Amino acid sequence: MTAIGFLLLGVGVMVLLLAGTGLFVLRDALSRQHAATKAGSLGTVLIVLGTAFIGGGWEWFWRALLITLLVWLTMPIASHVLARAAVREQDREKGDPHDFQKARAYDSEAKES
Amino acid sequence: MISLLVLVILGCAALGVLRFVRGPSAADRIVALDILFSAAVGLCALAALSSGRVLFLDIAIGVVLVGFVATLAWTRLVEMRGPNHRESKP
Repeated sequence: MTAIGFLLLGVGVMVLLLAGTGLFVLRDALSRQHAATKAGSLGTVLIVLGTAFIGGGWEWFWRALLITLLVWLTMPIASHVLARAAVREQDREKGDPHDFQKARAYDSEAKES
Repeated sequence: MISLLVLVILGCAALGVLRFVRGPSAADRIVALDILFSAAVGLCALAALSSGRVLFLDIAIGVVLVGFVATLAWTRLVEMRGPNHRESKP
């Protein structure tokens, strides 16, 4: 039980460090978002589950499972929204006419139809 | 053993802070904030482990929720900016 917990903890911490390294290896905000949110969510979940295995009681496990559920529910949404903001900011820097007004009009049309 | 893991997570947080300071665009800073919140959840879990109290996992639940709301709010702020917005350079 404790061995599994420490294994999960070590792997999770290494994955989190990998996500931190991705902030400097990758070249722009869109690819950095790709590294940070995916590896970040996996590392967080592995660390919390490892903590629950070492703690070893029901009151550790349901909290760890709740954190896992919350991270896996919220991280994809945050990742999607972040990627959209990064793309729009890149377009704005390039002087692309794809600005906020047009994007807002497009969103409201998509919502109505 | 646990202090070694804490040091590695602190190194990851230092990378996030560096990207937060240097990041050329606002999206880079939001990504760094995401990494910082992940590191905070990891540190909460390790604090629960080293002190033996389950209470710190409750704090980790709160940190996850606050991080989600912070990311959503800041990205919405970035998207609401007009087309001629300029980042203020220090």
